Amino acid sequence: MSSTFDQVATIIAETCDIPRDTITPESHAIDDLGIDSLDFLDIAFAIDKAFGIKLPLEKWTQEVNDGKATTEQYFVLKNLSARIDELVAAKGASA
Amino acid sequence: MQLEYFHLIDRIVELKIDEKKIVVEAQVPKESTIFEGHFPGYPLMPGVLLIESMAQTSGWLLLGLLKFERMPILAAVKEAKVRGSVFPGDVITIEAGLAHEGSGYAMTEAKIRVGGKLRANSTLTFTLIPFPNSDMRGHMEAMAQRIGFPHQAINP
Repeated sequence: MSSTFDQVATIIAETCDIPRDTITPESHAIDDLGIDSLDFLDIAFAIDKAFGIKLPLEKWTQEVNDGKATTEQYFVLKNLSARIDELVAAKGASA
Repeated sequence: MQLEYFHLIDRIVELKIDEKKIVVEAQVPKESTIFEGHFPGYPLMPGVLLIESMAQTSGWLLLGLLKFERMPILAAVKEAKVRGSVFPGDVITIEAGLAHEGSGYAMTEAKIRVGGKLRANSTLTFTLIPFPNSDMRGHMEAMAQRIGFPHQAINP
């Protein structure tokens, strides 16, 4: 079974037509990969479907806008993958 | 349908909140300046207006699901296909269903039929924004009344 990062990287590569081998755990989705907010909706949709979760994009955006979090916490792919793992675990715990 | 005001929906036929589906109807006007150019001697409803009519139908569904607390704004059009022509005077039936509701966005799938025959379909993405001002919200509420939005469906 592939890791969460591998699944996310594959989704990004396929959704945004970015070469898979340029996507690393340290890549920042916005700053490094140049993914804009509209393309990120497609990625969020694919992640929501693949993992059976709902990425809380509005909450994250609000936290960044309020200075309570940095974009790196949510959009560097190793961190995004960790957030996905947390959401999957939380869903499993509440099921 | 008032093309010059971009009012493309005449009436809501059915809004099923539990099934996350909506059906609306509209009659394409028999005359419009649009048809003078599109096309002389062979007037056709432009494909972009068919897509817009599917977007407006989806918008009313999302407004219902969101209880008028957010405004859906069209963000992306995917897999739009115009499968047959729509002519002046045609009565179109548009149905839309929720495909996915994410955080701050939603996707719908919509279809247009004339006389039961599929004429267009699309998958649409919307961002869901707070109403930017009271004017816009008031306008949407007035439009809702005009097209028979069933408020009892969202406030049973």
